[in-house]
Amino acid sequence: MNQPLLSRRRFIQTTGGTALAASLAACGGGNGSGGSGTKELSFVYMGTAEQQATWNKLFAKFTEQHPEIKLKAEGIPLSNWGDFFNKLSTRIAGGQVPDVIQIATEGQRLFASKGLLAPLDDYIKKDQSTIDEYYADMDPNLIEWDKKYASTDGKTYYLPGEFNTMCMWYSKDLFAKAGVPEPTPKWTWDDFRHACEQIKTKTGAFGYAADSAYFGAIMPWLLTNGTSSFSEDWSKPTFDDPKAIEAAEFNRKLVADKLSPPPGGTFDAFTAAAQGKLAMFGGGRWPIISIRNLKATAKMGIVPWPTKVEQGSPVGWNGYPILKASKKKDDAWTFIKFLISKEGSSTFAQLGGTIVPARKSIANSQSFLTDAPKGTEYLYQALSYATPIPSPDKGAAVQKAIEDGWKQVLTGNAQPADALGKAQTALEGLV
Amino acid sequence: MPGYLFISPAVLLFLVFVALPLLAAFGLSLFHWDLLSTPEFAGLDNFKQLVQDSATIRAVLNTFVFALASVVTHVGIGMLLALGVHRTMTRGTKYFVRTAFFFPFLVSWAAVALLWKYVLDPTFGIAAYYLSSSTNWLASPTWALPTLIVVDWWHTIGYTFIILLAGLQTVPAQLLEAARVDGANAWWRFWSVTLPVMSPTIFFATVITFIGAFQIFDPMVIMTQGGPDGATRSIVQYTYEKGFQAFEVGYAAALSLVLFVVIMIVTGLQFRLSRRWVHQ
Repeated sequence: MNQPLLSRRRFIQTTGGTALAASLAACGGGNGSGGSGTKELSFVYMGTAEQQATWNKLFAKFTEQHPEIKLKAEGIPLSNWGDFFNKLSTRIAGGQVPDVIQIATEGQRLFASKGLLAPLDDYIKKDQSTIDEYYADMDPNLIEWDKKYASTDGKTYYLPGEFNTMCMWYSKDLFAKAGVPEPTPKWTWDDFRHACEQIKTKTGAFGYAADSAYFGAIMPWLLTNGTSSFSEDWSKPTFDDPKAIEAAEFNRKLVADKLSPPPGGTFDAFTAAAQGKLAMFGGGRWPIISIRNLKATAKMGIVPWPTKVEQGSPVGWNGYPILKASKKKDDAWTFIKFLISKEGSSTFAQLGGTIVPARKSIANSQSFLTDAPKGTEYLYQALSYATPIPSPDKGAAVQKAIEDGWKQVLTGNAQPADALGKAQTALEGLV
Repeated sequence: MPGYLFISPAVLLFLVFVALPLLAAFGLSLFHWDLLSTPEFAGLDNFKQLVQDSATIRAVLNTFVFALASVVTHVGIGMLLALGVHRTMTRGTKYFVRTAFFFPFLVSWAAVALLWKYVLDPTFGIAAYYLSSSTNWLASPTWALPTLIVVDWWHTIGYTFIILLAGLQTVPAQLLEAARVDGANAWWRFWSVTLPVMSPTIFFATVITFIGAFQIFDPMVIMTQGGPDGATRSIVQYTYEKGFQAFEVGYAAALSLVLFVVIMIVTGLQFRLSRRWVHQ
């Protein structure tokens, strides 16, 4: 999900990384503020400074409804799930155990398999009608994936929550200026490449910001070419698949032909697109905050990713599990029920969170679609053909190996087959 | 007994913040531990794996290259700068230049690294503009490490410079005067008076720079993430990756012990060799 995609995000990532290192250095001693012993219900989530305000409004709403529960929410400003889980694990190892945490697909199996979470089955049984109503308002794929990937022992640790899929964001202005028709939902890699070339020739703007973010820039190309980074059960890496190599080559060519800015720099795609210097970038829901701040929502459009073999998109969703060590499990469940309620969900959508609501009714409502680019509904529709982001236990290391290999190809330092082959070997050592 | 009481704060601090963590790291290095489940005893497995891991060897080599390069450039160029400032400048410009050289050292590595990322940006960086070169400095396996060495030089040389400048100022004027009266020229005065008097200062600068360079972490993590293809990964960064990304805490502890031993050996060697050239 909220993968580091671009320079602004990289900035947050790197500064976050430094902060992490600093806090690790400092974390040796006290475990005073652990949630389980205190009176407050503690909740830890991943939120950058930009997103913090949104979350705070959501919490205010919860406190309004449940004044009896004192919620202590803490956002950790990292923009990369791997780093977030590392930080969380370090904390838990140090004895600071919150009551509820936000865990995206990338870490769900890891946390469930370590026996840290309390099963939700009894609570679900108790509130069956609430859950039934919630599930009825959701793409059944999400429920099924949650069952299949988020736990390994048949118990329920997570309710599927908001998610992100990948679509292509494009500048309507630049397409018009270059005289290229706007992309359709059924467009292909060739159409995409052609649009990039046309726009480059006629306006001088870059066509696409090629990147090496696992979720945001590698997986969509693999999936639309009919392959993936791992086998379906995540047990075997398939990163050196000929189709993966073909996808990497396709991206390398965009860089080599200068249709994409060279990687390794500080190119900020959101700003460049808002200024008419970039025609397309990949994104889920998260660019919305920047695009709104840049006042460019009307200038942008969203379409499904161009295809070569089939439609495809990675998907990752939030879960809000209760920790086994929590002493406030009932309050925690109340909080989770609030998060999945129509009201909680729509508040979040309205405030411009960086994720797509799991409830179909909210995702199709004005609260989600207002002040958003044309085509925002494709993000929900992508659930029908999406693939859960392959995330074995050592998620952060897996992500790094995949991104390193891809980066080698993009910069032209290595032949695609060699670079991905090397990454494949590294991945085999990690599963 | 009162004697022990007097040294007890220092001893306690040493025990709590140096000796215990060191012991704990040694203990950890004998286990397989992923932070979340119970540690499993592994004996010397981690150390065996360490010798066979090509990424470890690469990281150690990178760190050595980086450390050697930074010691040579920091002490060499820092010395030239210090001499230049000490000899030729008036009082006013001296203050200004001294501050200017030292200033980058006050800026945190994170800010410096981000700043240089912009300077070196292949699309719109001023390095690409003025050098009219299309080299993607940070993304090239050949250039990435030398680039980081130059950036480190920009950031840290002011520190070495200040130490050396202070050393220069301790050279007694009457010794130089006596040499001049004896007919020694400028080079000869530098070689047989200034340098010997300064040798303890140079020695100190060398040791400090070496240790600092061995612990380098921030610019790699921020500017290159250790890439391209591991060309800039340092020992500390690899330790961090293993410990907090791959959840191999025992292995990371083993790595950190290796770093400790390397620094001990190199510093010990320096002290040993110093007997030949440092005047006490």
